[in-house]
Amino acid sequence: MSTSLSEPAPSVAALYFDGRSARAHPATLTLRGHDLHLNATDLSRIDALSTVRLSEPMGQAARIITYEDGAHVEVRDHAALAVLLAASGQRDSAVVRWAFQPRAVLAMLAGLLCALWFAWQFGLPWAARLAAPHVPDEVVTALSQQTLAWVDGGVMTASTLDAQRQQALRDALAAMVRSGGLPAHALIFRSGGAIGANAFALPDGTLIVTDQLVALAGSDDEVLAVLLHELGHVRSRHGMRMLLQGSVSALFMAWYLGDVSSLLAMAPTALIQAGYSRDMEREADDFAARMLRRQGLAPALLADMLEKLAGAHDTGDRASGSLPAWLSSHPDTSERIAHLRSGDFMLN
Amino acid sequence: MHNPFDEPAVPAAGNPFAPPTGDPQREAVLFSGRGAEYFGIWIVNLALTVLTLGIYSAWAKVRRLQYFYRHTTLGGGAFDYHGDPRAILKGRVIGFLLLLAYNLSFQYSPLAGMLVAVMLAAVMPELLRRSLRFRAHNTSWRGLRFAFDGDTKGAYSVFLKWPLITVVSLYLLGPLWHQRLKQYQFDCARYGDTRFAIDAPVASFYKVYGLALLVVLLGIAGIVALLWPLAAADPAVFVFLPLLLIALALLVQPYLAARLQNLVWNHVRLGAHRFESTVSARRLYVITLTNLLGIVFTLGLFMPFAAIRVSRYRLGCVTLLCAGPLDDFVAGLSADAAATGEGAADLFDVDIAL
Repeated sequence: MSTSLSEPAPSVAALYFDGRSARAHPATLTLRGHDLHLNATDLSRIDALSTVRLSEPMGQAARIITYEDGAHVEVRDHAALAVLLAASGQRDSAVVRWAFQPRAVLAMLAGLLCALWFAWQFGLPWAARLAAPHVPDEVVTALSQQTLAWVDGGVMTASTLDAQRQQALRDALAAMVRSGGLPAHALIFRSGGAIGANAFALPDGTLIVTDQLVALAGSDDEVLAVLLHELGHVRSRHGMRMLLQGSVSALFMAWYLGDVSSLLAMAPTALIQAGYSRDMEREADDFAARMLRRQGLAPALLADMLEKLAGAHDTGDRASGSLPAWLSSHPDTSERIAHLRSGDFMLN
Repeated sequence: MHNPFDEPAVPAAGNPFAPPTGDPQREAVLFSGRGAEYFGIWIVNLALTVLTLGIYSAWAKVRRLQYFYRHTTLGGGAFDYHGDPRAILKGRVIGFLLLLAYNLSFQYSPLAGMLVAVMLAAVMPELLRRSLRFRAHNTSWRGLRFAFDGDTKGAYSVFLKWPLITVVSLYLLGPLWHQRLKQYQFDCARYGDTRFAIDAPVASFYKVYGLALLVVLLGIAGIVALLWPLAAADPAVFVFLPLLLIALALLVQPYLAARLQNLVWNHVRLGAHRFESTVSARRLYVITLTNLLGIVFTLGLFMPFAAIRVSRYRLGCVTLLCAGPLDDFVAGLSADAAATGEGAADLFDVDIAL
């Protein structure tokens, strides 16, 4: 796009600042070949185009041409500058073009939402699975102790189950685990209070069982079935993985909403951190079923227990404010029960 | 949208370089950023930051600040931001590691946690001083850089000594701390070789904070008076307590922001020039509230529009009262005031809003 001799060279009105004082020099910019000519009443300069830097377009904001010596010109006549730029063959960088074309902005938005969905659905669980085994044992223990302290600080109270029954369950679980090469564990009992019949595992292998769950179970084998399910969570580090996923999500939300209101950042993270994923429950079920069969017990024991728990929480007094925690994190209980009882399970 | 000072400023904007007349010439700060335009920059920044796992955030910050600075015009000249993204990235990595160390150490043992907390308190003032320097040195207007030459001793005074005093005094000396902080920020700042200075009296800070405290106390009393009779019938009404407290915070925050901006800028001098700030708490309150509703109902997509609305209003309320021609500022004797911007790369940008 060379300028023919008959056409006047494109010129642009601008304000020139020399970088040594705040004085503004009204000036004219002209392009001649590969040189940028600047003319003001009491000064002029000629610079090669390759030595000056042009700021990216930002709507009506002045565009700034910076010289090597720190002087600059501010251009607000965007139409005239466009003619001059066309003559020079200059082209904006991709990032700039994306930001100011509606179609590119919409594509960006769609791409961003897709990327976030994929990251949340697949990327984050995958990264957490890789990272979980590398969390130092001290951190796992400290986190578990904190959670236990929180549980004991009002959520649950001391167990009223007699010591002999407690010890019998501990011994039975220990016997099963000894033959299976399982992670270290410690079984403790608490009175569930408002939470009712429940059992859960802390990342360090501490298994907490409520008195209500033991009472609900028809036999010790049923309690053991639930405990093996919880041990499955411990073995695959599900707790640590959920914690890592939750932390990264919380960090992202805090960053995303951070510059406007940190108040809003708190709400979504609480939702994201609810319970294990469906796949994790399935994995723990399969593990428990395998262990039960190795002991000559039926995987249906766990299915019976799931049914009883679902029933107990269904008929439970909801007005008392107790959240059916077991159910909220186990949304597909009937599906899992059917799976545990199905014949094809034996082939796994 | 309506800036009360647009009209008197028009003849001045036509010829901002005219010789001074008897009265101080008024130069309104004009902000021309538009939400739809900034949305494009914001979404591209967000997408690239997510795709690069946060690394692009430093470049994103530079583009964001450049958008806001270049759309801010005073006396015919635009502001500009020159921060080096690599320096900002370095600062962010350091900040992230400090935060991580702080959070993890408490998991190990309270003693390790205390140790890290003490270490953080020891390095934070210096990091904040450097971030003030970085921000000032990388801001320019009419070809001259701003500068900040506050010393380390001052930084430890306002960022360590005064916060401790404030806590020990049960926040009674909080307004005094805020005044000292503003003194440190402005008395050590320059534009070219012209110094900034601030003469905001402590009493004014106490007045602003005192009124805010009064509103908070009255608000809490009102909430209790409202909930107490209802709670007798049904204790479940207390679930509304956090919501009401958030509403109260939303009521007070724009008031504080507006009054403090006016207090500070009406007492700042740049050489012989003065400033005038006329932010209305009520207008800012309406803007903040509508912004919040917009953000909630668009799942955050309104955030770039919200940022533009707040900036347009708050910047549009500031006027420079020129005592002489703007052309007379000259660059400081030190080389770093010139627009070359060397030496910035070794500074950390911690980016903690003050």
